[in-house]
Amino acid sequence: MGLFAPWFLAALAGLGLPFYLHLLKRQTARPKQVSSLMLYESRTQASTRHRKLRYFLLLSLRLAVLLLLIVAFANPFVNRNAATFTSNRLVLVIVDNSFSMRAGTRLADAKQAALGVLAGRGAARGQVAAFGSQLQFLTQAIEDQAALRAAVESIQPGDGHGNFGELARAVRALSASVRTPIELHLFSDMQRSALAGNFTDMALPANVQFVPHAVATKAQPNWTVESVEAPGQVWGKDAKPVHVRAVIAGFNTPAAQRIASLVVNGKTTATKPVAVPANGRAAVDFPALEVPYGFNRCEVKIYSADAFPADDLHHFAVERSDPQKTLLIHNYGDSRSPLYIGAALSAAAQSAFLLESINANEAADRTPSNYAFIILSDLNTVPALLENSLTGYVRSGGSLFIAAGISAGARLQIPIFGARIAETRDYSRVPDRFMTVGSSDSSFPAVAKAEGWPGVKFFYALAVDPGDARVIVRLSDQTPVLLEKRIGEGRVVLFTSGLDNLTNDFPLNPAFVPFIEQTARYLSGSERQGGARVVDAYLELRNAREQGQGVEVTDPEGKRPLTLKEAASAQSIQLSEAGYYQLRLANGRQNLVGVNPDPKESNLDVIPADVMALWQGKSNSGTQEASAPGAAHARTTPESLWWYVMLLVFAAAVAESVLASRYLGTQREES
Amino acid sequence: MQQRFLKPSVLAAISGLELVAKTVVDGFVAGLHRSPDFGFSQEFAEYQAYTPGDDLRHIDWNVFARTERMYLKRYRGETNSPLTILLDASNSMQFTSHGVSKMDYARYLSASLFYLALHGQRDAAGIITFDDEIRNYIRPSTRQGQLHRLLAALEQAEARARTDFAKPARYFQEFLKRRGIVLIVSDFWESPQSIVATLEPLRLNGNEVVLFHVLDPEDVRPSLDGPSILVDLETNEQLETTPDFAKKEYRAKVDAHIADLRDRAKAAGLGYCLLITDRPLDDALREYLTLRGGRN
Repeated sequence: MGLFAPWFLAALAGLGLPFYLHLLKRQTARPKQVSSLMLYESRTQASTRHRKLRYFLLLSLRLAVLLLLIVAFANPFVNRNAATFTSNRLVLVIVDNSFSMRAGTRLADAKQAALGVLAGRGAARGQVAAFGSQLQFLTQAIEDQAALRAAVESIQPGDGHGNFGELARAVRALSASVRTPIELHLFSDMQRSALAGNFTDMALPANVQFVPHAVATKAQPNWTVESVEAPGQVWGKDAKPVHVRAVIAGFNTPAAQRIASLVVNGKTTATKPVAVPANGRAAVDFPALEVPYGFNRCEVKIYSADAFPADDLHHFAVERSDPQKTLLIHNYGDSRSPLYIGAALSAAAQSAFLLESINANEAADRTPSNYAFIILSDLNTVPALLENSLTGYVRSGGSLFIAAGISAGARLQIPIFGARIAETRDYSRVPDRFMTVGSSDSSFPAVAKAEGWPGVKFFYALAVDPGDARVIVRLSDQTPVLLEKRIGEGRVVLFTSGLDNLTNDFPLNPAFVPFIEQTARYLSGSERQGGARVVDAYLELRNAREQGQGVEVTDPEGKRPLTLKEAASAQSIQLSEAGYYQLRLANGRQNLVGVNPDPKESNLDVIPADVMALWQGKSNSGTQEASAPGAAHARTTPESLWWYVMLLVFAAAVAESVLASRYLGTQREES
Repeated sequence: MQQRFLKPSVLAAISGLELVAKTVVDGFVAGLHRSPDFGFSQEFAEYQAYTPGDDLRHIDWNVFARTERMYLKRYRGETNSPLTILLDASNSMQFTSHGVSKMDYARYLSASLFYLALHGQRDAAGIITFDDEIRNYIRPSTRQGQLHRLLAALEQAEARARTDFAKPARYFQEFLKRRGIVLIVSDFWESPQSIVATLEPLRLNGNEVVLFHVLDPEDVRPSLDGPSILVDLETNEQLETTPDFAKKEYRAKVDAHIADLRDRAKAAGLGYCLLITDRPLDDALREYLTLRGGRN
């Protein structure tokens, strides 16, 4: 028995208040006039008879309410012997099946050890879970040993990245729900890279006895293909050769030479030796990746001859397709915009887009849906017919880039985008005669690639009311200069200055080409095509407004992981396996994605013994040895009585109210 | 049932003592027709044989016509006694627990008696107000305007100082040279022995002396909520006492005090009438007249 917050007992001094009300206050004599004191005699309250407390029961209840309230704040607890719960003890068996457990016989060893622990548990209540990137319970808390063993044996190697912080969080949640002592047996390679960033995240509740079972005790040398840099898409038949760069990493390895191969659709197209330094990294380049039209399954392999062959290859997908057409609608006589935009698009590494420039008068007979995206540059007046067709185009999923330029200053609002034009800002009149970028949102790819537009001078911009649009770049005076808005299923990016080298010097800035290239990729949606992802990453399947359009996902094993209902409504899918995911998205586009395990899983370094001991100390566990089934533990668990005390407070308060109202009623009658 | 008696609190609402007195006395006199027991003066007592020298005006000529003997008709109570009220105007008389102070009650009573004497019987009436000294004196008279003078004296009688019968009693004898009725209105917060000893000489002069003992209900039956400090209105002395004492011992003592005063007064040939201020005034008046009726 004890108190969690004994300093609240100082409030016991407040118990004097009811005594004051019931005793001292009653003793106050009030002067009263009488005709004569001739017949009166002096009398004082006799110590025992007159100093009796009025309403003794009421006083008792008030004292009880105060006392209980103070005790409730002091938060009493009783120490309950954990031994009394031994029969209720839950034996939680967690087997790590993260990607690193594929190394050697780690998973098999872990399962074998888990079966051994279960065999020694006898009739104890057990629960089996697999732990990859998340804790996955394979059984309920049951005593059926056969079912528990079957669950352990059914654990398959996974591709996820383990995180002990996530494991501790899940165990904490379980502990809060079962409220019985838990004997946690973790069978893992205790990979150092699985430690949580903050050690307190791995703290386990007091009623959890943590018994780690390490299947690997020391770091093992391992080579891996850490990353591959390759474009997701290649355009046109005569596209420039695609350059592929792979990084080969060695963990706890001596300096060695390894053979790296580039494999396209199962055929090895190039092989290169790479000298990997001791415990270091080396890059290997494949200068010419030749892929046929359509989606291609590519991978970089090494021949590592280590105990962990599963991480010796890296998947990525490359799509070859025809360049996409892009339409630039500009003012009559404006030759600068087509020049700069066309030059920027063709100067990009891949000639992915074919720019078609027309003036507004010629735009009436064009069908917007034929273009990957459309650019509106410095339009004085957008014909109503064109505005309508472009609005419909955007709503149905098309993308638009609007450069406001100078002419739009005469309008009340930006066409299609809908933002109200507050005023025009002519910076040639300010002391510096120009304005630079003040802040930028680096999560927008076009800005990130252009590194925030350093040194770009703006001489003129429109100040628009952003409304619900996302402001990506602001000038130093907080004028929004680049905004994005989703309209229907499409996107519109608004540039409140111009692309003509008159309102700014952006077209002459080195940041212009990557900006235009990335904006084009973003608006055409090609940045989401192909490439490689990491296991457990999420892939967007549809926009929010594309409900009802079915998607189709085929996982690396050729199965469809989504149910029909999920296929009709899921916004995204978690890529849980390494390999190639084939997708047909809600907007009708096909996609192929190479998925690779987290590179951190390739580092087979184990958690140092001192850190491990610290972790066990955090969980109040004294030993790594598994205890015998049903054995009594001297450990006690404090159980708070706060709730029960508060119930008593409530009952006493109700009784006090009833009694007090009765007495007060009596006093009214008396008066 | 129709209200027969006039509550003091109702009288307190009437402005002007004359109107109060008229209200009380007129209602009271109207009631006398149904009460043959009441009344005084001009009542037939006996016949006395005429002797030479007797006033011929008193011969009953009707009897002479029937019997041819001359008898004098004698009357009872043809006293034409002057009425003097000695009004205690000490501080204790201003005590009240229910709206009508003892002083107010004494004023109403005095005014009613003045009205009754001057208008009803054509008797002379006068007043002496006193506390520890003589404060005011109006000689008994039947002159015109006497009632107004008396009522003005009642109005001016402010309760102050403390009662001391011994000191003013010396002067009473000087003022009361002519025999008559002497009414002493007071709360008599002194020892009954000294009160009677002080006032008894008035009786020896041939006066008819009646003590009107005016008390507030709280004087008789005090109620305390808790331990209280009591303040004497006359002396400002303070004393702490308890509800238990007020409820038991004090009541016994005040009852004994009243009984002692009554007994001593009667023993000394003084009339005694206890008036509690929540008692209807005409009821009190009735008791007084009953008292006098019994005496005559």
